[in-house]
Amino acid sequence: MAYRIEVLGHEEDGRALRIRNALGGDAGVRVVDVYTSEHKAAAGSTFKSALANPVVQKVDALPQDFDWALEIGFLPGVTDNTGHTAEELLRLSVNDHEGGSTACYSARLYLITGKVTREDIAALAGDLSNRLIQRATIKSRDEFVRDGGMGAVVPKVMLDNKGLVADAVELEINDQELETLGKQGIKNEDGSRRGPLGLSLLYLQAIRDYFRSEGRNPKDIEIETLAQTWSEHCKHTIFASPIDEVKDGLYRHYIKRATMEIREKRGDGDICVSVFSDNAGGIIFDEEYLICDKVETHNSPSALDPFGGAITGIVGVNRDCMGFGLGAKPVINRYGFCFADPRQNPGYFRDPKGTDPMLSPAKIMNGVVAGVESGGNCSGIPTPQGFVYFDDRFAGKPLVFVGTIGLIPRTINGQPSHVKKARPGDKIVMAGGRVGRDGIHGATFSSVALDEGSPATAVQIGDPITQKKMSDALIKEIREKGWYTAITDNGAGGLSSSVGEMAGQSGGFHVELERVPLKYPGMAPWEIWISESQERMTLAVPPEHTEALIAHLARRGVEATVIGTYTDSGRANVSWHGETIMDLSMDFLHDGIPETPLVTTFTRGGTAEAKLADKADYGPDLLAMTARLNICSKEFIATQYDHEVQAGSVLKPLQGPGRVYAETSITKPVLKSPKGVILSQALFPRYSDIDTAAMAAAGLDMAVRNIIAAGGDIKHTALLDNFCWCSSDEPERLGQLKRAVETIYTLAVQYETPFISGKDSMFNDFKGYDSAGKAIKVSAPPTLLISSIGVIDDVKKSVSMAPKAAGDLVYLLGATKDELGGSEYYDHLGHLGSNVPETDGHQNLRLYKLLGRATRDRLIASAYAVGLGGLGVALAKKAIAGRTGLDITLPSSGLSKAAMLFSESTGRVVVTVAPQNRKEFERNFKGYEQCHMIGSVSFSENLLIRDVLSVKTADLEEAYKAPLRGY
Amino acid sequence: MSANVLILSGYGLNCEEETLHAFEYAGLKGRIRHINDLIENPKELEEVQILAVPGGFSYGDDTGSGNAFAQKMKLALWEPVRRFVERDTLTIGICNGCQIVANLGLIPGIDKKYGERLVAVTYNMTARYQCRWIDLSVNENSRSPWLSGGRKMHIPVAHGEGRFMMDESTLVALRKCNQVAISYIRPDGSAAGGEFPFNPNGSQADIAGVTDESGRVLALMPHPERGMFTWQRDDYHELKDRAAREGRELPEESDGILVFRNAARYFEG
Repeated sequence: MAYRIEVLGHEEDGRALRIRNALGGDAGVRVVDVYTSEHKAAAGSTFKSALANPVVQKVDALPQDFDWALEIGFLPGVTDNTGHTAEELLRLSVNDHEGGSTACYSARLYLITGKVTREDIAALAGDLSNRLIQRATIKSRDEFVRDGGMGAVVPKVMLDNKGLVADAVELEINDQELETLGKQGIKNEDGSRRGPLGLSLLYLQAIRDYFRSEGRNPKDIEIETLAQTWSEHCKHTIFASPIDEVKDGLYRHYIKRATMEIREKRGDGDICVSVFSDNAGGIIFDEEYLICDKVETHNSPSALDPFGGAITGIVGVNRDCMGFGLGAKPVINRYGFCFADPRQNPGYFRDPKGTDPMLSPAKIMNGVVAGVESGGNCSGIPTPQGFVYFDDRFAGKPLVFVGTIGLIPRTINGQPSHVKKARPGDKIVMAGGRVGRDGIHGATFSSVALDEGSPATAVQIGDPITQKKMSDALIKEIREKGWYTAITDNGAGGLSSSVGEMAGQSGGFHVELERVPLKYPGMAPWEIWISESQERMTLAVPPEHTEALIAHLARRGVEATVIGTYTDSGRANVSWHGETIMDLSMDFLHDGIPETPLVTTFTRGGTAEAKLADKADYGPDLLAMTARLNICSKEFIATQYDHEVQAGSVLKPLQGPGRVYAETSITKPVLKSPKGVILSQALFPRYSDIDTAAMAAAGLDMAVRNIIAAGGDIKHTALLDNFCWCSSDEPERLGQLKRAVETIYTLAVQYETPFISGKDSMFNDFKGYDSAGKAIKVSAPPTLLISSIGVIDDVKKSVSMAPKAAGDLVYLLGATKDELGGSEYYDHLGHLGSNVPETDGHQNLRLYKLLGRATRDRLIASAYAVGLGGLGVALAKKAIAGRTGLDITLPSSGLSKAAMLFSESTGRVVVTVAPQNRKEFERNFKGYEQCHMIGSVSFSENLLIRDVLSVKTADLEEAYKAPLRGY
Repeated sequence: MSANVLILSGYGLNCEEETLHAFEYAGLKGRIRHINDLIENPKELEEVQILAVPGGFSYGDDTGSGNAFAQKMKLALWEPVRRFVERDTLTIGICNGCQIVANLGLIPGIDKKYGERLVAVTYNMTARYQCRWIDLSVNENSRSPWLSGGRKMHIPVAHGEGRFMMDESTLVALRKCNQVAISYIRPDGSAAGGEFPFNPNGSQADIAGVTDESGRVLALMPHPERGMFTWQRDDYHELKDRAAREGRELPEESDGILVFRNAARYFEG
């Protein structure tokens, strides 16, 4: 039987207060934590008292005076972390484990009083839960009494044992049937399909030809493996394919080549150590350490389950860092989100009948923000740097970028730490969480557009504590013991990818799939092999060390299992209870993918420039600009993300007494070293509406410029690229892509800032229906995120954005041009325009070198790189940050006032300089034409721009902070 | 004599390294011990003079922050821990460690009755995680060796469940023995009066830290180890700039170091 324990929170429970506010009026809310278990010890007092804090909680004593009861629990098979913890407590409170399964399940019950209807409660349930992963039960008080309570729900997974063998798949079928196979998946006995393989006809023909040569039909697991390994997500086929005249593909020809050329030119000054070949890219930190960096996207999962998608994104990229070299310690997280306006809901549906609604932008935003909060905070990794960008075209798929920086000694046991190799004979060990049905088809699914057929099994919830236990044991205790020869994470494609990749080093593998520990019985072999259950690493362990490694992990509460052996057989071999169910040649698995030459077209976008008459007062415009979503404060995120843990935070996400949200951070990963890691990121999706070259260049320039402004050294700066494109099967979109890639090649080589890692997500499209049932397609604007990482020699030389003292001089460095095209100001006015900012890498580099020198000589009191909203917004943010006045006279330029204020020309920095440093500062910039003294930090309480506007700093601060304050 | 510090780790605790750094900087010798290793060899507690339960997210805060880790200690390690705190030793619980120490009943330990849960550290009033720098005042009548000579501190908090709650009678008892050792204040030194963000979690009576009766056990939500050095401060760039203009060196150390240095001094005598 099932036992149910109800733990009632006190009346002023913070969680209840939030829901009370959401319901409004005079509603009362009590929160009850519910646990169920089938073990009889769950009825005992030891367990109950372990679950409740007697000071503020009561067990099994629900109040009677409520009108509605709403219970939210997990669906079967969904990761239930609280349930797992309860199970541990249950195990501790029973001496022997008699009485069967100790599994526990958690749910939350809300008891609500007040004048609210069933519809109100249903709406609340919709806000609090996600029907893909949770159940919500609503009962009125009468129903509750009639039923004798909510009833004990045990969401146990019950799978039938059908399909527990590997099925053969018939490939000798016509092309149309092959196409259906690729799009909808392998057919089950009952005629249903297993979900998209994402394999094109061309790929399936190549697979059919391969199996012809092997003289047999494939098993399902072999097709699923090829689908994972050849997916766009894993192979990056679009970047690898010949495209127009570029026969070696965009990645090799531009991105990789940029890095190679820079490294060659640098010679001894090369900062790169491990680029593009591992889970993350690694550069030198100091004599003793390397730092590695990786930025991932988790867009598709976050569209379906924002919390689950985001948390698995962040803990997933943590594993990329743990899988760098012999395992780096995660020391900093970063994030970047692109959402639609959370104050609106376009009301899209996945189906024409309007029964399957897309989540609202607000729900997506709240869930994504909370997912990264939970993942990052629970893992004890600081999250100091990030950004949020809004555009309504992210309503279909949000962009969720997550990144992790790792720290690793340059040598471990006398060997370079970034080198690893699985050797024939090494055992394949899977460590961490168990395997369930979560995330089946994640890799193939993120490589296609989101539509009605998107599988809910692609959704997963992370368990950061399981991962933390594994991370601590592997990185802090086991790594130095030399017990493993290689390590990688289980991400997209699960074991099929991690084992397949590592076996590339040894030359083959044999896996005994029945050895893989499962969350629940009843999984088919192909599901076990490609499941994306989280929190797992795969290791290559010499046989003499397996016992010690597994025993050590067990003492840390982490499960590890030998599941096979790396070989040099040249075969990818999997058996299931002794029977061979997969036997592919390694060459075909990794290199059998057919080339698909791509062709492109390109047309520049844009509209005529707006004709703007000069206004007498730009005060209202500046206030409106400061309140725009892309410019206003995201403080609510910065304060939720622990940026102080590990105690190394130097330059924080909220700067100055006015707490302005900054997109550049400095963190000391080694407390005893004076050095710091500087991070920044930038993207300009709207510029793509005119020219993706401008979009790409602006992002790269801004990511670098932010580092320079904060005191970084351009010679010790590297870049990561994340392309989030749309409709990448259309020549025009590919043309936009090619243009962007060409541009960043040129600019990166000019700046000598190498790319060290990257990732792409090429189909950020949503195909669905509007509320009238009309078919729609919402495509994210082509977006390139550039993330920068640099090392500052001494954090004492870092510079924040807030002005420091009245009387200081304000300088604008860099040229302002008539470049309002695609700007925030034009968008505010409803224009697109044509004059999108063009980046002059040569001129910019001149400035960055001069500014770098001035910073090292400590001549700069504050610095802020001009970005969205142009000079006007930059000055507003500086005034707010310093809670100070500014007295500004715009330089004569021949530009309109609007252009001077709001043009987003790249390459510009606003700095303040103490009067005593003026001479030296101006001497530093001697010969540089674009150093403009534009005023001073004033004793007044106004931002005064002479002949243009005068606005109280306090009003700007209110405009800046109000829009997202309530989130 | 220089004392030995044992800092717990495991199951999601995560501030053990910076806490060790703080103790070592103050001149103490320290070691990090996984809770399972300590359960296997509880005698180790007899070899050390200071026990630190650092911050983190033990068990992901499931079943209430600090609860599950405390239950594990209670069921598997209670006698050695009780004997440890009854000796002339020092114990500190920071953030998640504070929640664990409270759930374990090492505070308030009224009449030396360790093990009784009388103080809860629960969900913030905002129901949001709060990472921010706050101002604290140290109770000048506190007898805690951890806080000797302390007046005010500017250090960060970072927690989702930092709100102290207890019965009025417990609060009266705590006040009688000056066990309310640290409180949230406004930057001007006046009481926070429950007002956010000065009191970041809605804590009863602005309480940020509580000791046992002897003062040797300190449980506090703010993080002194994250406020040891001037460069860690939220106003670092302002302080640095001012010092440069005034032509003076900015001191390297900041408020949080007091706690760790006091621990070292306690065993110097």
